[in-house]
Amino acid sequence: MTSLLDRICSLFRGKPRLSPAELQAAFRSYYKEFRALLTANNNALELMAEMEEALTVGHPFGMAFVRGNCTALSVNIYKMTHHLTRMAEGKYAELEQPFLRISRELEQIIASRPVNTEGAAILSMAEVDVSKVDQVGEKMANLGEVRNRVGLRTPDGFVITATAARSFIKVNDLQVEINRRLKGLELDNLEALYTVSAGIQGLIASAPLPAELQETILAHYQQLATDTEPEPLVALRSSALGEDSSNVSFAGQYRTQLNVGREIDQVYKEIVAGKYKSQAIVYRQQRGFRHQDVHMCVGCLRMVDAAVSGVLYSRAPDDPRSTFVIIQAAPGLASNVVDGSAATEQFLVSRAMPHVILDQQAAAEKEGGESLQTLTAAQAAELAVIGVRLEEHFGAPQDIEWSIDQAGLCYILQSRPLGRAASDTVSFEEPSAPLEPGQTAEELPAPLLSDGVCASRGVACGPVFTVRSSLDLLRFPKGAVLLVETPYPDWASLLDRASAVISETGQIAAHLATVAREFGVPAIFGMKQALATLENDSVITVDATAGKVYSGRVEPLLALASARPNLMAGSPVYKILLEAMKHIAPLHLTDPTSPYFRPESCRTLHDITRFCHEKAMVEMFTFGERYGFDDKAAKQLVVDVPSQWWVIDLDNGFCPDFDPDSRYVQLDHIASLPMLAIWQGMMAFSWAGPPPVSLRGFGSIIFQSTRNTNIDPAVRSALSAKNYFLVSKNFCNLSVRLGYHFAMVEAYLSDLLTESYVSFNFKGGAADDRRKVARIQLLAEILEQFSFRVERKGDSLTARIEKRPVEFLVERLKILGYLTVHARQIDMVMDNHHLIRQYKEKFSTEIKTMLETPEGVMP
Amino acid sequence: MQKKNRVLIVDDEADFSETLAKMFKRRDIDAVTADCCRMALEKLKDGEFDVVIMDVSMPPGLDGIQCLAQVKELWPTTEVIILTGHASVSSGIQGMQGGAFDYCLKPIDFGELLEKIELACEKVRITRGR
Repeated sequence: MTSLLDRICSLFRGKPRLSPAELQAAFRSYYKEFRALLTANNNALELMAEMEEALTVGHPFGMAFVRGNCTALSVNIYKMTHHLTRMAEGKYAELEQPFLRISRELEQIIASRPVNTEGAAILSMAEVDVSKVDQVGEKMANLGEVRNRVGLRTPDGFVITATAARSFIKVNDLQVEINRRLKGLELDNLEALYTVSAGIQGLIASAPLPAELQETILAHYQQLATDTEPEPLVALRSSALGEDSSNVSFAGQYRTQLNVGREIDQVYKEIVAGKYKSQAIVYRQQRGFRHQDVHMCVGCLRMVDAAVSGVLYSRAPDDPRSTFVIIQAAPGLASNVVDGSAATEQFLVSRAMPHVILDQQAAAEKEGGESLQTLTAAQAAELAVIGVRLEEHFGAPQDIEWSIDQAGLCYILQSRPLGRAASDTVSFEEPSAPLEPGQTAEELPAPLLSDGVCASRGVACGPVFTVRSSLDLLRFPKGAVLLVETPYPDWASLLDRASAVISETGQIAAHLATVAREFGVPAIFGMKQALATLENDSVITVDATAGKVYSGRVEPLLALASARPNLMAGSPVYKILLEAMKHIAPLHLTDPTSPYFRPESCRTLHDITRFCHEKAMVEMFTFGERYGFDDKAAKQLVVDVPSQWWVIDLDNGFCPDFDPDSRYVQLDHIASLPMLAIWQGMMAFSWAGPPPVSLRGFGSIIFQSTRNTNIDPAVRSALSAKNYFLVSKNFCNLSVRLGYHFAMVEAYLSDLLTESYVSFNFKGGAADDRRKVARIQLLAEILEQFSFRVERKGDSLTARIEKRPVEFLVERLKILGYLTVHARQIDMVMDNHHLIRQYKEKFSTEIKTMLETPEGVMP
Repeated sequence: MQKKNRVLIVDDEADFSETLAKMFKRRDIDAVTADCCRMALEKLKDGEFDVVIMDVSMPPGLDGIQCLAQVKELWPTTEVIILTGHASVSSGIQGMQGGAFDYCLKPIDFGELLEKIELACEKVRITRGR
C-alpha cells in the first residue's frame, strides 16, 4: 500500500530528471512561450475590441479595415495555439481544427464582397453617404451623410471618385514614372524631397485627362449652371481614400481649391497631384503604403455666396460634457476662419432649447470702433440645433464648417469628429428627452465613485450585487449591477442578466469587457474602492461612459442611455463585419471547470483565445510538478527551523555573489521576490504545534490509520522528505509536505499585469474526509476574503489570483506562506465547531497583523 | 564584438524597401534589398542573413508564401517576417504555418518593426548558437 506522500514523491521520481542547467533551460523556454502567448492574447483582444467599436460607434470604415483586422486577429490566434501546443508538449494540437474551420469561414465572408472602390467615375452628392466611403473617401462620405440622411443643406455638387483618379493615372501610365522619381529619394534631404514632390505634382497636373472623364466632369459641372450663373464657381475639396483612417488630421492636409470655374478639369488634376505633397510622400513611404493604393477622391461643390461663415464645435473641445456649442464666425468664406486669417467672433450657445447665447466675444472691431455683429441670436440658435443634430447623427461631437449665404440660408461644408482621440474613450449620446432648459451637468449629484475606465459605454441603473465566488452566480438577480473585484471571464455568464458591470480592476481588453460590449452592457473597470463603497442591494446609476457611479436613480443620466446611432448599419462593409464578428466575438467557453471546456467546443476565435489563455495558465501553474531534478541542483537553505528546505535556482534566483558550488544557501542570498514573500508568511508567527486532539479525535486517527493510506508507516520517511523552492528572480514554486498534507504555492510577479499570478494547491490530511473537507472549507473562506478565486474538489483546493500589482501579490504570498504552516494538522479538530471558529478568527487576526506589520518587525 | 544584424528586404515596391534599408542602416542594421523572390534567393545564396522581411504579393514568379517555403527549407535558421499591404486570413495562416517568425500588416510603425527584428535576431542567435 502506498501513501499519498510517497505517491507525491514518486511524482518527482517518475518525471524527467534534469540537471541544474537543463532545469534552468526548461524554465526559460516555458516562460518564453507563456509570455509570447499572453502578448498574442492581448493583441487579439484589442483587435476584437477595435472591431466591436467599429460596429457600435459608426465611424466610417472600409474593407481594408475588415480584412486587415481579421488577418491580424487570425495570426495572433494562430500564435496562441502554437505557443500553447509547445508549452503542453502537443496536448492541445486538436485546437487546430476549430481554428482552421473558423478562419476559413472568415475568409469566405470577406471574399464574398471585394473592396468596392470600383464604380462610377462621378457620383452626384445626392447619391453619397457613408456606405460609399470606399468610392468617395471619408470627407465626402460624411458630407453626403449630412445632406442625404440628416437632411441638412449642403452645397450642390458631385464627387469625382477613386475610379476616376485611378483611370487618369493609368491612362497616362504615370505610376511607373512617379515610382521611378521616388526611387532612391532621401526622405530627410528636404531639398531633394521638395524637388521630387514638385516634379511629380507637375507631371500629374500636366498630363491630359482621359477624354471621357473630362467630358463627364464638365457635363456635371455644367449641370450646376443656372440662368443667373451660367459659369458657377465651385470649391474642389480633396477626400483621400486608402490611408490609415485613424490619421484623419493628416488626410485634412491635402489641398482644397476655392472659386474654380470652367477650369475645373485642370484644377481637378492639381488636387489629385496633391497626393504627392512632400509630407504625404514621407508619411506613406515610412509606413509601407504603396502610393498607388491611396486614391484622391475630389468633391466639387458649388461655392456659397457667403455673408458669414465659420466653424462650429458641437461641444467644447476640452470638455466632452459641456452643455453649449462653440461657434466661431467671420464675414465671408469659412476658409477665412479655418486658416485663421479673419478676425472672428465667438459665441457659446446653449445646446438645450431655446438655445440662448450664453457668451459672446467679439475678437475684433471694425475701423471706427464699431463692433462686429456676425450672427443674430436666431442664426446662432439655428447653428446650435445643427451642431446637436450632427453630433446625434454621427454619435460623436463634431467639428463643422458652415456658411450662411446672402439669403440667410445655412450650408454645411464639412462635418468631422471633433478630436477623435477623445471621442474614442468617451461617448456623447444625446438625451432622448433633452435636459430641461438651464439644467447643466453641474446639477448632477456628486458621484459616489469616479475615475473608472469605460470598458463598455452606456448608462444603466440597478441594485448592487457583489459576486465573489461561483455560488454567488446562482443567486445573481436579473437587472442587478454586477460588482466584482477582478473581471474574470467566468462572470460572463451573468451578462445577459446584469444591467451594468463594475470591477475594481481590469482593462478594456479583458474578456469580460469584450463580452460586455457584445451584450451592450455598460461596464466600468479599474473602479478603485468600489467594493468598499458600494453596498449590496443599494440602487446606483452607472455612467460607464464617464466612468462614474451615482447613488440612486439619476434620471438625466438615464435619459442619455438611448441607443447610439449607427451610420454604417446596412452598408455592405458593415454587413460583412457584422457577419465576420459572429465567428469572432461570442464567448461560449466561460466555465473552465465544465466538461464542455475543450478544444472541439470552440466555436469562435474568442473561444479559442479563452481556451488557450486558461490552459496556458494551468500549464504554467504546474511547471514545478513536471520536472524532477538531480540533487546537485538543490541548495539547502540555512535557517534556524527544524524542517529542511531546499532551493533550486532556475534563473537569477540567487544573488550574484552566491557561490554556485556551495551546497548551502543563506536567506541573504535569495533574490527571488516571491520566495522571500512566502518565507516571510511562513515565519511570521511560530507554529503552535499540533492542535489539542480529544481522545475521540485521537482514537479516530488511530482508527483511520488502520485504513487511511495516507498515514501508514511510510509516512515517517515521507515526513522527513525535503521541501523544495524552485526560484527565479520573479518566480517561485514551493512544493511542501508538512505533516500529512501537500501544498504547492506558485507565483510569477511582474510589472506586466497580464503575466502576474499566484496559485495555491492544498490537498490531503490525516483525518477522515469530513474533517479534511471542513479544513478545505475554512481555508477557502479565508482565501476568498483576500480576493482569491477558490475551487474545491473533495479534500483538495485550488486558489488563484492573477493580473494584480506586485505589492498586492506579495501580500497574498505572505498569506499563503502563513496558511501553509498554520493549517497543518488542524483537520484533526475540524469536527469541533467551536475550534473551527476559533481557528478562523486566529488566522484572520494573525494575517491582518502580519500584513499591517512593517517588514522586518515580525518575530 | 557582436556581429551586426543582417536583414534582407524583399518587396516589389523598391522605394519602400530602399527607404526601409536606409532607416535600418541608421540603426546599425546591415540591410540589403531585393525586388522579387528570385533575386532574394540569389542574395541569400551569396551571404548569410539573420532575418528576411518579405511581402506576400510579388508578381511575377514565386509569391511570398512559396518563397518563404524555399527560404525555410534552404536556410532554416534564417527568420522570415512577412510584411504586407495585401493581407488575407489565408495568407496569414499559411505564412505562420510555413514557419514565418511573424506576419505584419502595412502600415507598420518603424519602432514596432525594429522590435520584431530584434526578437527574431535573438532567436537566430540562440538557434545558431552564437
